[in-house]
Amino acid sequence: MARNALFGRYWEADSIIHNLDPRTKLVGVIFWMVITFSAANFPALGVVVVATLALCFLARVPLGQAFRSIAPLSFIIVLTALFNLFWVQGGAVLAQWGFIQISEEGVRMAIFISIRLTVLLLAGSMLTLTTTTLDITEAFERLLAPLARIGVPAHEFAMILGIALRFLPQFAEELQTIRIAQLARGAKLATSPTKSGIAGLTSLLVPLFASAFRHADTLASAMDARCYHGAQGRTRLLPLAFTRNDAIAAAALVALLAVVLLISHIL
Amino acid sequence: MITFDGVSFTYEAAQRSRRKRRSRGGEPQPADWGRLPDDLWALADLSFTLEDGELFGIAGHTGSGKSTLIQLANGLLQPTYGTVTANGHNLADKHAAAEARRDVGVVFQYPERQLFAATVFDDVAFGPRNLGLSADEVEARVREGLAMVHLDVDKIGQRNPFALSGGQQRRVAFAGVLAMRPSTLILDEPAAGLDPQARKSFLNLVVELHRKQGLTVVIVSHNMDDLAELCDRILVLNNGHMHALGTPEEVFADEPGLRAIGLGVPQAVSLANNLAKRGYSLPLGTGLPTLDSLAHAIAARCQHNIAE
Repeated sequence: MARNALFGRYWEADSIIHNLDPRTKLVGVIFWMVITFSAANFPALGVVVVATLALCFLARVPLGQAFRSIAPLSFIIVLTALFNLFWVQGGAVLAQWGFIQISEEGVRMAIFISIRLTVLLLAGSMLTLTTTTLDITEAFERLLAPLARIGVPAHEFAMILGIALRFLPQFAEELQTIRIAQLARGAKLATSPTKSGIAGLTSLLVPLFASAFRHADTLASAMDARCYHGAQGRTRLLPLAFTRNDAIAAAALVALLAVVLLISHIL
Repeated sequence: MITFDGVSFTYEAAQRSRRKRRSRGGEPQPADWGRLPDDLWALADLSFTLEDGELFGIAGHTGSGKSTLIQLANGLLQPTYGTVTANGHNLADKHAAAEARRDVGVVFQYPERQLFAATVFDDVAFGPRNLGLSADEVEARVREGLAMVHLDVDKIGQRNPFALSGGQQRRVAFAGVLAMRPSTLILDEPAAGLDPQARKSFLNLVVELHRKQGLTVVIVSHNMDDLAELCDRILVLNNGHMHALGTPEEVFADEPGLRAIGLGVPQAVSLANNLAKRGYSLPLGTGLPTLDSLAHAIAARCQHNIAE
């Protein structure tokens, strides 16, 4: 199940969102974060929630799948919510144990922050659910391209990002294999990860690192064998191109920001 | 003795129960072997007994359920349906599973990839130390484990395992499992990735342990020649179902059936079958032909022809 729940697993579908230019989506996600943080009250946040659900619908990603992909990160939401619940004071006191007290304002903030974070993670997962890693890397490279002129190795950064994303599931799988093998030798990893101590941890990490180096070696040879020599003179089979839909998406984002700002500050 | 009784296993059990709760329609119909056919079953209705002291082979192509079977046999996984018992104890019980994990040593594919310690000694000692043994006992176990794979603790005990050759690394990893003093050994593709000489000596080592130490050995492999040569009985898996179970003679008698599921028969058997199909009857005695016995039979027939 952990394999299916990996954050950022691509969800195969043919939707408007899938077919947007990856650059639009990459910038769009950042813009979506700005919008989410601009929402300063519940009505504004409500608009963002509705917009995020609409995005999910447009991308033809089942809501269950979207939530499953952010489930591993849900602890962030829970922690932040708890922190706000106990820390933020104001309004009527709802409950009190000794010096710990929960106030109306605390509850309000906890709910607000949880919704905001959930929306943030959902929007972030929308990028990876609807865009292949190859497209994300290329968008990243193209967006960094202007910086290449002042000496930033844009192509190399993109290549590193692409390789890292590619090997994430691979290493997850290998870690699983190693874990099983060490369990078979009596390692006490399953029962208590905290008490298994240094020996338990190194028995997993050292083989994993060894495997990472082995993969790196093989990959380097494979790239060499294909005459890879960096960005120079590299062409694409399918160059990225903006379409009318990208313009519409950009306009929609700006409109959404305007609405959210309006509701936040005028209402 | 490990017994599988009607064992089925799916990695999707969690999802399935969720789906079941949600659907209010009619219950899906189970297949003739009693389980839902639409689910992805890694193993389906598997029953067999691994007898003490036998050398047992398991054959099957990638994804046929071999790795799942291994993890069920030593209690790392629990069957979705059915029971696995080791020496009369049901492995659904936590203590029995922990005991089975110690008693059933598993040498996974490419075991050298699980080496991690700074010295050979520490790596082999990992298992015994997990058993909570005293330092003296741990050292004795390490010495014994390495001796069983023909390595000398005084010579290589303090060396870095990553600096050894591939064949030696595999022996060290093997010693790490043997140091747990298992009564049953399961080897997953023990010879994969070794050169012909290292391969032969590693397999000889396994047979030697089986004969001299009386270990029950299970070899999981694609290589039908190895299985035919080494094993007392062979279990053939196909998509999680039992395809065949029996002595090598019985299993390899059905060449078309094995070919149909993407496996083959040993080279000598294939050659003998081909010759028989073209009308060359050979004086092959009983039992499976080996390359040697086949060569003798062909030579004998030629002599016979010349004499006539």
